[in-house]
Amino acid sequence: MAAMEVDGGDGKPLLERKQAFYRSLDDPFEIRDEKYKGQQYSQIYFMRLHNMRNLIYPLVPKWKPQLPVCTVLGLEEGKECIIVGTIYKHMKLKPSILDEYSKERSTIPLVKPHNFMHPDDHLVLEDESGRVKLGASVLAPSDFVTGIVMALHGKETSDGDFFVQDVLVAGLPPQVERPIISDNKYVVFISGLNVGGSMLNPLQFQLLVDHITGHLGDDREQSMASQIVRVVIAGNSVEVPKGLLSGQMVTPKEQYKIFEPIKELDISLTQLVVAMPVDIMPGTNDPANFSLPQQPLNRCLFPGASTYNTFVSCTNPHSFELDNVQFLGTSGQNIDDLGKYSDAKDKLEFMERTLRWRHLAPTAPNTLGCYPFTDRDPFLIESCPHVYFCGNQDKYETRVIQGPEGQSVRLICIPRFCESGIAIMLNMRNLECHTLSLSTNLDF
Amino acid sequence: MASGGDIKGFYRQRKKNTTISGGVTKPSAAASKKKGTVAAKGPSAASVGSGGDPQPPALISHGSLDVDKEYGPEEEVLRLFDMDMKYGPCLGVTRLERWERAARLGLHPPAELEGLLLRHREAGGGGAPAVKLECLWEGRI
Repeated sequence: MAAMEVDGGDGKPLLERKQAFYRSLDDPFEIRDEKYKGQQYSQIYFMRLHNMRNLIYPLVPKWKPQLPVCTVLGLEEGKECIIVGTIYKHMKLKPSILDEYSKERSTIPLVKPHNFMHPDDHLVLEDESGRVKLGASVLAPSDFVTGIVMALHGKETSDGDFFVQDVLVAGLPPQVERPIISDNKYVVFISGLNVGGSMLNPLQFQLLVDHITGHLGDDREQSMASQIVRVVIAGNSVEVPKGLLSGQMVTPKEQYKIFEPIKELDISLTQLVVAMPVDIMPGTNDPANFSLPQQPLNRCLFPGASTYNTFVSCTNPHSFELDNVQFLGTSGQNIDDLGKYSDAKDKLEFMERTLRWRHLAPTAPNTLGCYPFTDRDPFLIESCPHVYFCGNQDKYETRVIQGPEGQSVRLICIPRFCESGIAIMLNMRNLECHTLSLSTNLDF
Repeated sequence: MASGGDIKGFYRQRKKNTTISGGVTKPSAAASKKKGTVAAKGPSAASVGSGGDPQPPALISHGSLDVDKEYGPEEEVLRLFDMDMKYGPCLGVTRLERWERAARLGLHPPAELEGLLLRHREAGGGGAPAVKLECLWEGRI
């Protein structure tokens, strides 16, 4: 890429934007020409159980040597053993499509709770041979969700439940060693732009674009901006008025209201893309498919930006590497779904759990829409990323977690830009994060 | 009636005064007489009053009738492969795909099944194949 010219001249040296070698690892998330043949979700659950079991079996002898591993059907009362299977969480308040048919309308609450937990929730472990209800104490159902594969040590009780004494999850996957990067290179994360919505202040977004592309500020600001190697937009970039999308005929004037936000986004993206590589991921509100993995936004939506080879439309979840630093992230649907069906002290804890369970979205396909793959479960995390991000969250949070084999991951929750005016800058040299906060508020 | 042109067969059954839908019998003199004979015959005549086709066309909305009450040993082996839990669920994938998936996962499915399925795939339609390419439950669930 040619050096970016900076206004100034007068013998000052031209600032060159740093570059980083990019490689997209989105292959498992692409659907390409998969054909739906009427299959159900049993196939993806089988693949998940099979792959995770093969990861867990080698860990079992080290965890509890001498104990036999058996299937659910092979459980004997009173015999201590280890079973490995998929967790199902039975939740009383979980909305079920069957409720529409079985109960009278009046008993269904009109206001849906944000979190469907209930003290009576219980866990069930399932493998190919059968299911068993999990009893007791060690497992707090509020920490778990349907879809996790784990090993349990315990014994069957007289009433047919499995009394759990200890739990083993697969843990953080192996991590490739982080390369040493000698100079500061930044990646900017933005999410929740909601262009076209009422919450976004267009001037704020324009300020952000100008700052990142180096059109703002003095030499010091510009030299900092020149160290930004990539921008990752993590979902919910447009907000189209929902009322117009209910399937009825749309007048030309309303059609304008639908595509206007996308056109505005394209204009801003073109300004960004001229300056540096941009990855854009689809989110819940974007014009992409509903179920995970969301496919890349179509290039036709961005006639201006897509003419540049620095414009990369990515899947959600998105996995890539920059200068051999591994990144993995989503637009937030997986973490939001965990928040509805389980409890944790903060969103970072949910993110940490997904890494320790080695699965990006364990609640898919149970409560999170997902494509019924037959030959793989693409959400299994095979290698530990160095940076794990999640978009469209309420606030900015970040933490580094450590793994038993020396893995170290920077977790980042990216706040919605339309609400907070905050973008995140990550320094690839030391994986430190700071915020880029923009405000157009004239009151000091 | 999605199972193609079997309306005549359906009406023919009504004329014979046998079951209208699988298993549901109208109490009639004929039925009760049959009950008597069943008692005399013993357990061999298991279904009472249902002399007709066990799978009346009306009930089958898609898929095919299992008109082949006999099936060869090759189909038998494939059905056992379908039912084996080790290789995962059988519904929703063709047998060949399931076999290939099992091979890829290192589960060592019986090698001769692959040959069997490929041969019959190459052979094509032409009449009722001795071996089906889809699993046992395909089209019925």
